[in-house]
Amino acid sequence: MVEPMDEFEKELREQLLARSAPEGFADRVMAQMPERRPSRGWWMGFGLPMWRWAVAVLLVAGMVLGGLERDRQQRMAGERAKQQVLLALRITGSTLREVDSKVNAGGEQQMLSQKGAGRAILEKGEQE
Amino acid sequence: MDQSPETFRDLVECHQARVFSIAFRILGESGAAEEVAQDVFLELHRALPRLESEEHVTAWLRRVACHRATDALRRRAARGDAAAEEYQDGMALRPVVREFIPVMNRVEQLLLTLPPAQRTVMLLRYQEDLEPEDIALELKMPLATVRSYLQRGVKMLRAKAERTLKEYSRG
Repeated sequence: MVEPMDEFEKELREQLLARSAPEGFADRVMAQMPERRPSRGWWMGFGLPMWRWAVAVLLVAGMVLGGLERDRQQRMAGERAKQQVLLALRITGSTLREVDSKVNAGGEQQMLSQKGAGRAILEKGEQE
Repeated sequence: MDQSPETFRDLVECHQARVFSIAFRILGESGAAEEVAQDVFLELHRALPRLESEEHVTAWLRRVACHRATDALRRRAARGDAAAEEYQDGMALRPVVREFIPVMNRVEQLLLTLPPAQRTVMLLRYQEDLEPEDIALELKMPLATVRSYLQRGVKMLRAKAERTLKEYSRG
């Protein structure tokens, strides 16, 4: 239940009507507003203008391509080294086979001459 | 609501008197009141997307203006500013308040002698013309407290006004 206002309350209400804000108040509020920027494209998403994005993209592309090229060169050098090692192994293998056959041939001859000498000694003993 | 500069300027112009008056009558000083009122409007701009109607904006401004002005009063009291303690002084106006006299009417001066919470309730009742139930809702205060503040506030102001009148006619 709302009680009716008496004379004093009516006077209170009259005296407490909203007073005007100081001159230029709205202008001062508007001046403090955060500045509105012109509409931004998707490339401005991180606060960078278009040309900076282009430079950044070029730099990243250069780094990626450089990395790929270095990788390719390393793989080629590895391949060359592998071929050289294989060639060396082949040479070594054939050399070893050659030496082995020579060693084997020399051994047989020596054994035959040793056998011949032994037989001659035996025959000489029988005669005596 | 729309945050465009045009709409916002219209809102500021429409509500500046209300917000400034609340801040001025709670703080009792024009400069501080303007500072608080500006902050309230900047806060309103950020809050606009959440506000759905003019009525919502009005209620929001009223509530936030009361709270921010009371906060400013508390900060001033924490700094030991004598004006913030004025309400404890009853009828006698301290020198700080006398400085406000040229720009405040008699009722505004008397209002400053009330405790801040009571001052806010009186303002919402007699400046904003809200019913006690609405004041209780806006300030999240029990209705009985609002009614008590209003009754005692009117009684105190009436007594003070009569005394002032007598002193004035004597002087």
